Amino acid sequence: MTTTVIGESFRPGELEVRSDGTGNLLGSKCRSCGAHFFPIRQACAGCLGQDLETVKFSTEGTLYTYTIVRQSTPAFEVPYALGYVDFPEGVRIMGQIVGVEFDEIAIGMPMTLVLEPFGKDEDGNALTGYRFRPAEADND
Amino acid sequence: MTDVHVVGVGMTRFGKHPDSDATDLGAAALLEAVADAGIDPRIIEAAYVGHVFQGMVTGQRILAQVGLAGLPLANVENACSSGATAIREASLAIRAGENDVVVAIGTEHLTTRFSGALTPDPSDPEAAVGATMPGVYAMRATRYMEEYGMTREQLALIPVKNKANAAANPLAHFRKEITVADVLESRPIADPLRLHDCSPITDGAAAVIVMSDTAAKKYANGRGVRLAASTLRSGSVDVEPTSMTYEPLTWATAKEAYEKSGIGPDEVDFAEVHDCFSIAEVLRVEGLGLFEQGSYPWAVERGEANIDGRLPINPSGGLLGKGHPLGGTGVAQVVELVRQLRGEAGDRQIEGVRVGLAHCRGGKAVGIEGAACTVQILIR
Ligand SMILES: [Zn+2]
Repeated sequence: MTTTVIGESFRPGELEVRSDGTGNLLGSKCRSCGAHFFPIRQACAGCLGQDLETVKFSTEGTLYTYTIVRQSTPAFEVPYALGYVDFPEGVRIMGQIVGVEFDEIAIGMPMTLVLEPFGKDEDGNALTGYRFRPAEADND
Repeated sequence: MTDVHVVGVGMTRFGKHPDSDATDLGAAALLEAVADAGIDPRIIEAAYVGHVFQGMVTGQRILAQVGLAGLPLANVENACSSGATAIREASLAIRAGENDVVVAIGTEHLTTRFSGALTPDPSDPEAAVGATMPGVYAMRATRYMEEYGMTREQLALIPVKNKANAAANPLAHFRKEITVADVLESRPIADPLRLHDCSPITDGAAAVIVMSDTAAKKYANGRGVRLAASTLRSGSVDVEPTSMTYEPLTWATAKEAYEKSGIGPDEVDFAEVHDCFSIAEVLRVEGLGLFEQGSYPWAVERGEANIDGRLPINPSGGLLGKGHPLGGTGVAQVVELVRQLRGEAGDRQIEGVRVGLAHCRGGKAVGIEGAACTVQILIR
């Protein structure tokens, strides 16, 4: 399956978007103690080591908690679901949740990272951001 | 080393002030604190002024308005803990022996800066994907309900309690009692939180004058209240995901205050805590060690946190009832503590109190549990 890349990453420091339409959230891994961080850090909060490498996080995680946001800033159309997903590397990352009815979202659901259009740059070009969707619904 | 004494307090009405700004409000609070202390304002040696969205040198504008320009002054920004941080700075100046009389002011004219949901700074990765402050607390509420079985109705008892307290506070933003049904029928903001679960957008200011032992002996006339501890911490980076139903930052800040004051959590008679949202009050009092983890919703149900309860929480009405002018909030908490400890709290007076605790916690940044947390312990 070929996917057309929608546009540049909305935040290249945090989300890598590749030309084949795939992408990953980015963070730091401490080469001294193995701790992972999102977003990229300049030193490790565990051991204060500065020998960090930038790593791509897994795209599969577990929903820690969620809400349905019904009042937000003008930049976001409400309502939308928002959640924290725990990834196996040991990081918890916030994102919007799509592909599921609001009342079917549940703590502990397996979630998958998906790339989606996410706003526009200053010149009006579409940007690519990320959202989470339930893993079992991700079979299309 | 000298102790620190709160000798004068002042506070504007909290609410909407369309005809004044953060400078006017701060100046009014300062003048009231000076009058309350009964001092010549010329003995004030330094000022710390907390505010968040009021722009550069708001503190200097306040002092210029009351003829006190020229003092050493620092403007302090630490999100919702800005005012409390200003008090801590003032207390450090006293303890260090640098000053004998210092004023801390907190002010905010929030109605002209914000409407609707507050968000983290737009540069933050979580703000970029749609985080709002109510949204973050709503997620903590979702998780707390799952872990401890708290019901939506139990959570509603917190705004009901705090707005009943606010109804007895002439300076509060809200003066009307509400019911559980009012909470459950109010506009949804971020599930499960509704409008009555959220602190309002409020204008207001407060000021406290703190003194050394030497100055208090001379000026306090027996009305001083000892600021036995004023602690501040910033959130640490999570090395791995941690529980969002517990607050290590609040506990760390409180533990230091308990150690410094020699007062344990079981000796606290009442507290003003940072109830920016209903769920926040649960997380705060448990984080402070005032109630056991996972127990507070049931304690509220039993009336333990009411003004006539075992351990009254937010007798002023808290942020939910009194209002939340960011910079003003932490200073107003200490004003309430002083008034309660002096027996000047009118219809909301708690009987026989000796030790009060104030807790502020504010700000959100990706990857840290919380941004700025303060705890103050006052002893009569
Ligand atoms: Zn490390």
